[in-house]
Amino acid sequence: MNLPVLPTTTVGSFPKPDYLTKARFQFSKNQISKTELEELEKKATKEWVDFQEEIGIDILVDGEMYRGDMVTYFAENFKGFEISGLVRSYGNRYYRKPVAVAEIERVNPVTVEWFKFTQSLTQKPVKGMLTGPYTIMDWSFDEFYPTRRDLCLRLAEVVHDEAKDLEEAGAQYIQIDEPAVSVRPEELELAIEAMGIVTSGLKAYTLTHICYGDFPKIYPKMLDIPVNQIDLELSNNEFDLLDLFKKAPFTRDIGLGVLDVHSHRTETKDEVKARIQKALKFIPKEKIYVSPDCGLKTREVEEAKAKLRVMVEATKEMRETLG
Amino acid sequence: MALETTLAGAYPKIGDSTEEQKLRRALHQFDKGEISEEDLDLIKNGVTEEAIRQQIEAGLDVVTDGLIRWDDPLTYLCRNITGFETSGLLRYFDTNTFYRQPIVESRLEWIKPILVSDYQFAQAKSTKPVKAVLTGPYTIAKLSRNRFYREFKQLAFDLAHIIHKEVEALEAAGCRYIQLDEPAILNHKHDFNLFLQMYEIVAAQLSKAEKTLQLNFGNLEGLYPKVLNIPVERLGFELTKNHKNWDVIKSAPFTKKMMAGVVDARNTKMESENDLVQAVHQLGEYTSLEQLWLSTSHSLEFLPRSNARKKLELLASAAKQLRGASVS
Repeated sequence: MNLPVLPTTTVGSFPKPDYLTKARFQFSKNQISKTELEELEKKATKEWVDFQEEIGIDILVDGEMYRGDMVTYFAENFKGFEISGLVRSYGNRYYRKPVAVAEIERVNPVTVEWFKFTQSLTQKPVKGMLTGPYTIMDWSFDEFYPTRRDLCLRLAEVVHDEAKDLEEAGAQYIQIDEPAVSVRPEELELAIEAMGIVTSGLKAYTLTHICYGDFPKIYPKMLDIPVNQIDLELSNNEFDLLDLFKKAPFTRDIGLGVLDVHSHRTETKDEVKARIQKALKFIPKEKIYVSPDCGLKTREVEEAKAKLRVMVEATKEMRETLG
Repeated sequence: MALETTLAGAYPKIGDSTEEQKLRRALHQFDKGEISEEDLDLIKNGVTEEAIRQQIEAGLDVVTDGLIRWDDPLTYLCRNITGFETSGLLRYFDTNTFYRQPIVESRLEWIKPILVSDYQFAQAKSTKPVKAVLTGPYTIAKLSRNRFYREFKQLAFDLAHIIHKEVEALEAAGCRYIQLDEPAILNHKHDFNLFLQMYEIVAAQLSKAEKTLQLNFGNLEGLYPKVLNIPVERLGFELTKNHKNWDVIKSAPFTKKMMAGVVDARNTKMESENDLVQAVHQLGEYTSLEQLWLSTSHSLEFLPRSNARKKLELLASAAKQLRGASVS
């Protein structure tokens, strides 16, 4: 893998262009066919790949044009899940939760064809993108397994199979997102055990993304999550997290979140550089990957692009100063 | 009085049918400026009535207004308390739901009743007694960001006085059941002495309404039995199958009325009526069943409305069976 120092990447999702949002709605009303929808998903994927190449991102993603919710997408493709009625998350936002109603099984690979398609569009490495077993368990109802642990460990096996298939299809990087991990410190052990099952025997470089939560309660224990890199949301939290690293060094590679994905405002290059500088005080440059705080799907297409441009340009300038 | 049933707070704001999604559509239209705040309030009133009706249809004995107007457990109260600003979204305990964090910018003050008109509206629409539900002062203080008070204690005591005034106003309006939610104390058990002092302020001279202290999102280990010293009449907590609280309450006699959260409001899996009957028989060893409230473990907003209704129907049907058995 020929990567520059401070490789740039993204957390996974990009905003869907308007034509795709419209097509997804039409598909849900049976107004267009699955094939017609897929053509547009591919078109949007190609546009995002072209954009990532154009601005010079080092490790690409497919942008998840074909996914809705990160947990529901997998639940819909695994056997043993049903999808619930609407549950509120905040304000006027509702989502449907998966319900485990039978033994969870992966009948066919879920993301492999999309990985292959995306990798065929570029010479640069494309990351395989999965949602982790702990998060799928935590964000689902469970009417089948006796305990949370049982469901979580079963999902770990299923996600492992998917990761294996991605690796065989050529994925050099596999990201297994666990945003729910920071929420229940008492279950961190379970999340670690489950990730151990997912990454067991993989040769690919593995990473996990964790969103903001009660980090002081899970740090440094979270460094035991068996992956090569932990990608963290940092900008949203004004980099308070780095203070934790003073107490115990961050021993994994870090995916350094330098863009606040919840804000409409585009960061300046100086802000991004300052964030990288700050991290460099605690973590050697060889261990730092630069990325946004989280998936960018909630931003407008142009907002996301502007933010990413600044991120890549600022990182390039940093590289020069580092020699 | 015999065993009664209630829910632990909010009722789902929307259901899966188009008819049951009025509020979602109205909020959307309101955001786009297509309807006025008055129009939106009318919709909220209608959905509140619907929530009350569905609770009564399910067979509950004590209902709530469904907290249909509440964005989250903090914002609805805090934006009516002078001194608070609200900010970004934070996760609410270990759920996948969020609240806007209140920020204390200046001395907090209670200006006028916050929930009284909601209570009056709901009670006028209900044939069953309406329980007012509000987040307690400790949890508000703990989940807020303090930019004003030098010490947490000062913030906590000011909030205790504010909630005291609100409870007093609800009592004066005729409300006979008031539930105070204090999940945060279960994560900060070392603050118990402060918590007790706060509740002496909250409850001072108030005796008309029955006050329930609701303690969920955790267990009472380390707080029980001293939590029985809090000056409220009823204590609510989680008693779902195999919950740690079953062990905790064995350690000392239960000297208050109980609101037993026997139905899991965070999972769609249905308890069996038999499970609930067994649970109540077991509770009979610790508390008088005559004064027992059976309830959901949490607010029902973590469930889709159709599942929430089924859980309430189950609760009512188990209670009916139990009451029948005690008569014969």
